[in-house]
Amino acid sequence: MTHLQFDQVTKSFGAVPVVETPFNLAIDRHEFVVFLGPSGCGKTTLMRMIGGLDQPTSGEIRLEGEPVGAPDRRRGMVFQSYSSFPWLTVAQNVAFGLKYRNDLSEQEKAVRAERYLDLVGLYEFSDHFPSQVSGGMRQRIAIARTLAAGADVLLMDEPFGALDALRREQLQTELRRIQRRDAKTIVFVTHDVEEALFLADRVVVFSKRPTRIVAEIDVRSRLGEERSLEIRDGEDFFALRRETIGLVRAAAGDEL
Amino acid sequence: MSAVAETISRPEAAAPPAAASAAARPRKRATRGLLRLRTPLPRGWGPTIAVGASVAIVLAWEFVARLGLTTPLFFPSPTAILSAMARMISDQHLLWHAWVSTLRVWGAFLLAAVLAIPIGVAMSGYRVVGAALEPAIDFIRYLPVPALVPLAIIWFGVGEETKIFLLWLGTFFQLVLLVADDMRRVPQEYVEIAYTVGANEGQVLKDVAFRAMLPGLVDNLRITLGWCWTYLIIAEIVAADSGLGFVIWAARRYMKTPEVMAGVVLIGVIGLATDQLLRLIHRRAFRYL
Ligand SMILES: Nc1ncnc2c1ncn2[C@@H]1O[C@H](COP(=O)(O)OP(=O)(O)O)[C@@H](O)[C@H]1O
Ligand SMILES: [Mg+2]
Repeated sequence: MTHLQFDQVTKSFGAVPVVETPFNLAIDRHEFVVFLGPSGCGKTTLMRMIGGLDQPTSGEIRLEGEPVGAPDRRRGMVFQSYSSFPWLTVAQNVAFGLKYRNDLSEQEKAVRAERYLDLVGLYEFSDHFPSQVSGGMRQRIAIARTLAAGADVLLMDEPFGALDALRREQLQTELRRIQRRDAKTIVFVTHDVEEALFLADRVVVFSKRPTRIVAEIDVRSRLGEERSLEIRDGEDFFALRRETIGLVRAAAGDEL
Repeated sequence: MSAVAETISRPEAAAPPAAASAAARPRKRATRGLLRLRTPLPRGWGPTIAVGASVAIVLAWEFVARLGLTTPLFFPSPTAILSAMARMISDQHLLWHAWVSTLRVWGAFLLAAVLAIPIGVAMSGYRVVGAALEPAIDFIRYLPVPALVPLAIIWFGVGEETKIFLLWLGTFFQLVLLVADDMRRVPQEYVEIAYTVGANEGQVLKDVAFRAMLPGLVDNLRITLGWCWTYLIIAEIVAADSGLGFVIWAARRYMKTPEVMAGVVLIGVIGLATDQLLRLIHRRAFRYL
């Protein structure tokens, strides 16, 4: 069942075309899609258009069949930096979006905030400020805030790019678990092949600008739904990784 | 898994001696390396050094003055200034004059802040407003305040309005640009996060943009308040029969140097106290930084 759809989308900034060939892509409900491509190819731009933060030059993006308009809480953003508000505590950050929801009682809001705080394992840090917790925890705050606000599409733009390898792996595992558990649709941007393969149901590989899709990798059929750290060391993962790196190299052309 | 845990735990077991030598090292460095670029001061040293150096300067000043190398008329000693100040407090209502000046400064400062904050925010938040106002503001802020004194008197006479206007003139236009800059520096991510959790424009401004810029804003207000005191003297020298500027200027007419300096010192003391108070509030209010 299609949740999100790019229909003949093009985008240029002034005279500079970013997506020139009309772009089509259908993303299923509860699907984890990763955009993989050389830097500057337009991944962020595509993602921002889903969020309503940028408008397509032509074509249309549809959410549940309806053209997307201005940003709203159904499409939550997780950025790489400045992902949480420094003046709010961890708990206040997670609850941030809830105060704009008039459809919930105060009681329901509190329960909801607590649930997501717990889900990302930050309950004991409730009263800390973001400056007092690790970078990994700050990204968890952002994920919890987005989910608590009621997003059913998570748009994540290289959210783990600034983390060290160990924290990254840990957060990747957690994110995948949360996505299965809460049945969310996720569009995730990265330029890290391993990250892409570990997380995704489907990886979309982009060419350098002007952007088009060079390949779609159906990771689910190759690696299955369950992703554990062990899978990373398996033969299948290695083979898939080598293949994907080949595709990415070809896509980046002489820019590597 | 357990093998990994073991190899990780081993360096920790060896930690105590390393920690002990690390604790010994900074002490040696503290005394020898204080003048190295950006070396942090040991705890508690900052205030001690600040007070010590200030006291030393005052003592040196007193010493030089007492040696008789300078005439008291030209360069009075700190004790002479202090006794002049005491005399002025008891005979010339010095504290009342200080109070009058403080009210003028705060009046003009608040007026400038109340107008500059929304205008500055609007200038960065809405490109149209910025484009429209920036040239004019940039022009006016380079006009020297003293040059506008005659104009102020023509417009407002020699009453309170003139003083407030001159102080306001000296700070408002600078402050608008500082506020606009604070607003401009609010990360776009914060704004976009708020929109994508369902906030509307007003909520984004109030709950995010304003909160994000607040620490910088408070700092800029503190600095602007300092400028107010600079312009105060100009305003009170030209057209006043009260305030510290008036007191200083009146004392000058009779060449009462200790009185002149007493007025100047009092302004410095008020400025220093206000500044420290605002810094303290800043630290308390923005503990999260
Ligand atoms: N607001 C903008 N104005 C002009 N050019 C832009 C803007 N945003 C992005 N671009 C350009 O569009 C291209 C794609 O950018 P982006 O989507 O950020 O790429 P990616 O996320 O894949 O690195 C880049 O060449 C970038 O310079
Ligand atoms: Mg990007």
